[in-house]
Amino acid sequence: MHALIINGSPRVKKYSNTDKILEKILLGMKESGSTGELYEISDRKQWEEIREKFYHFDHILIAIPLFVECIPGLLLEFLETIPARSTDRKPVLSFLLQSGFAEGCQLRCGEEYLQILSGKLGCEYGGTLVKGNNFSIRLVEGSDREKIVLPYKEMGKIYGKEGNFFSVDCKKFTGPEQFPGWVRVLVGLMFKTLAKKSFEKTAKEWGCSKSLKDRPYA
Amino acid sequence: MILIVNTTTDRTITENLHAELMKKGFSEARTDESDGKKKETYEIVEAGERKISPCIGCNFCWLKTPGICSIKDDYEEILKKMIHADQLWVISETALGFLDHKGKNIYDRILPLATMHLHFKGKQMRHYRRYKQKTDFGLIFSGDAEKDYLEKWNGRAALNFEAKSLGVFSKDEIKEAVTCML
Repeated sequence: MHALIINGSPRVKKYSNTDKILEKILLGMKESGSTGELYEISDRKQWEEIREKFYHFDHILIAIPLFVECIPGLLLEFLETIPARSTDRKPVLSFLLQSGFAEGCQLRCGEEYLQILSGKLGCEYGGTLVKGNNFSIRLVEGSDREKIVLPYKEMGKIYGKEGNFFSVDCKKFTGPEQFPGWVRVLVGLMFKTLAKKSFEKTAKEWGCSKSLKDRPYA
Repeated sequence: MILIVNTTTDRTITENLHAELMKKGFSEARTDESDGKKKETYEIVEAGERKISPCIGCNFCWLKTPGICSIKDDYEEILKKMIHADQLWVISETALGFLDHKGKNIYDRILPLATMHLHFKGKQMRHYRRYKQKTDFGLIFSGDAEKDYLEKWNGRAALNFEAKSLGVFSKDEIKEAVTCML
């Protein structure tokens, strides 16, 4: 299988969490003997080429960071410009939907739209790999980053073999739909302590001199 | 205050809204000094031809310049109005069964109104609101759309800001939409 792979993140490639995830997906696909051509929506210069190729693949994978419960405005702007399908070829369009929020339930509204979207684009729906808890990919390096992104390689292997995300393993990959109560208490505590400190540290490194709760327009 | 942002270039929608709101006794925010009586006010922003770029996900509004978007365009004026709005109504064209990108950009760029910090609120993990003002969301669309999905989505989008959905209406249902305005 040779797939068209589109990073639907509006963030530039260098800092894109979705891009780091796709690197592993591509590695996994390779292990299954499949290949992919990767394009980035954040680079408008690539749009024309993606448009031309869109309906010339049997398999398309669009990877998306969740933006306000659905797909980012920039990806939508691009998709609006794809001409209607004029060939008999009906590609299988699969998605990878990732977010900062950790629980699966946070991504279901976005996932629901992706099924609608594949129909609107005249494609066959190939399912969506849903996974949260990815906010810090760009903020960490080395083994800390590997810990978050490496599991996607296995998903890439399955995608490379089956050409969709319908398998039980892909569904399980989402993790808990909702954390149990005791985990929520722990995570809530972590937000107030470790995560808070870590965000403040990043802000300082980025040159921020204000409180993260600042109200500039109050 | 009701803030109405028209991302389409069809002014007849806002003209109809204006007429219905006046009938209901509302007054435009900028003319609300006439008789000294406090009236419910609304403000219409015609954003259809304004420069509003998509969010680029840089996270600067959370971690580098808290509350301030790194993109300098016509959106900042809307953001400043939102923190005083009890209701935000977005008017949008549709595409691919959903809002078009101009409509969606209004929501994606709201992020400076949330902080980086998270908490559990009811059944959801949410960001804290940066300002005290709670703004409920309403949506008016023009064109074909998956209305059931839009209703669900609008409710979820409002939840992000601990607010509620005021409903989703087509441009032919302006009267119904106005009944949900304050």
